[in-house]
Amino acid sequence: MSSLGVNANPVLMKKITKLPGSFRDPSGFIFQKDSSVYRQVNTSYKSDYDKLMTTGLYKSLVDSDLLIAHKESSMKAPEPDMAYKIIKPELIPFISYPYEWSFSQLKAAALTTLDISLRALEHDMILKDATAFNIQFVNNKPILIDTLSFQEYENNKPWVAYKQFCQHFLAPLALMSYGDIRTLQLMRTNIDGIPLDLASTLLPKKSWLNLGIATHVHLHAKSQKKFADKHQTIKSSSRGISKTQLINILTNLRSTIEGLDWKVAKTEWGDYYKETNYTDKAFTHKQTLVKDIAKKIKPKQIWDLGANTGEFSITAAPYTKNVVALDIDPLAVERNFQSLNKIKIDNILPLIQDLTNPSPALGWHNKERMSLIERGPVDLVLALALIHHLAISNNLPLASIANFLHKITTNLVIEFVPKPDSQVQKMLISREDIFDKYTQVQFEKEFGKYFTTKAKHKITGSKRTLYWLKAK
Amino acid sequence: MFPKPAHAYLDPGTGSYVFQILIASVIGGTVVFKSGWSKIVELFRRKRKPSADEKDN
Repeated sequence: MSSLGVNANPVLMKKITKLPGSFRDPSGFIFQKDSSVYRQVNTSYKSDYDKLMTTGLYKSLVDSDLLIAHKESSMKAPEPDMAYKIIKPELIPFISYPYEWSFSQLKAAALTTLDISLRALEHDMILKDATAFNIQFVNNKPILIDTLSFQEYENNKPWVAYKQFCQHFLAPLALMSYGDIRTLQLMRTNIDGIPLDLASTLLPKKSWLNLGIATHVHLHAKSQKKFADKHQTIKSSSRGISKTQLINILTNLRSTIEGLDWKVAKTEWGDYYKETNYTDKAFTHKQTLVKDIAKKIKPKQIWDLGANTGEFSITAAPYTKNVVALDIDPLAVERNFQSLNKIKIDNILPLIQDLTNPSPALGWHNKERMSLIERGPVDLVLALALIHHLAISNNLPLASIANFLHKITTNLVIEFVPKPDSQVQKMLISREDIFDKYTQVQFEKEFGKYFTTKAKHKITGSKRTLYWLKAK
Repeated sequence: MFPKPAHAYLDPGTGSYVFQILIASVIGGTVVFKSGWSKIVELFRRKRKPSADEKDN
């Protein structure tokens, strides 16, 4: 398990720092030096590393964009006693986690993991782990980032990562497909994937009719229960499984996952752009403004907050290396991800994120998985048609919103949506208007404490105003 | 044979390890052979009374 994103913390950049997230595997570890990320390969992993590199497996996987490419480095090892090699993997623009992915992203990550396993077997190697945290999205495609995940295949040995694969991929996908899309959040609370007994309990009865799910989740869970706390040797298992049988199991997992779908329900936000009161004129004007500002800033990375299906992420994408398009609605993220594959834009990463409860730091020492804030700051945040959701729907004070946004960006493009706007009026239909302080004057006062105004534009054909603010 | 690969850091889990061996004979790639599969279902049912929800399926 590992993470290959650079932590922008300047304190970390001066010295060698072991990065958390890769400590469980004794084959090596990742570390950061001078804003570059390296991986030490330990001598205990020497034969497997050499086999990966010399059998053609590495080249085959890298050529197919399935495994992250790396270069061997001559730099001094941080732990020379154990070191075999230092490698420098390509950098991942933004580290994301499975509990932030849409259904199709997790499904694509699952299929990639199986494809890598099957490809590895062709070269007499096998994945020794199958955690979803080893997959990252680069250019809209899932890629394995842990170069040390391979080990030599031993005849008749079952797959050591079978349980982990089912917990990290099959269980959440089955739960989302047969149950509810929100069950993905169980990946947040279970650091090593969703326990199969839990998945089996939560899945509806009809999931037993899917033989793949019945086998790899339900019966698998029963088998775990049956053998729990039994440490005696099991005679019936002495024969092991042949390579062909192992390939059959992997292929069966693959077709089971291929067959899972999310029968898309219509949510509150799915048809946002169709249902808003936006005039085409306002929309086009907003696009022009966003484009012009992005052009001037030339940001390395943009976070588009409340990105919906990514319309404005697409507008800004040509002027930056990467856009991270965050939205609370899994359906919007799903549609965004799928449409990006069609329109061939590859520098936008759509992710699920509830800004009122953003991804926390998780795992051992609270350091295995980064919080959203730790993955910033960036040089441009887009907060379009967002503020009324935070301030009115979620009762967040403007001062607090300004403080949060200041923490994550140096440039902020934010749209103020005033009370008379029909979207705000809609929000106030069902509740008392307790938002005396939700005014444009108050907005400018509170944001003025953290930002200076670079530009301010009335959006044509609407009551809204677009601000370009620069962090103080 | 038992799950103790030389340098694996991951605990494969006894139940998961043995289970693969059990299903190996009934899984033929994209298909699961139903006749063999029902034998495996029986294996996990034998020692206790089947629960109502399993009977339904």
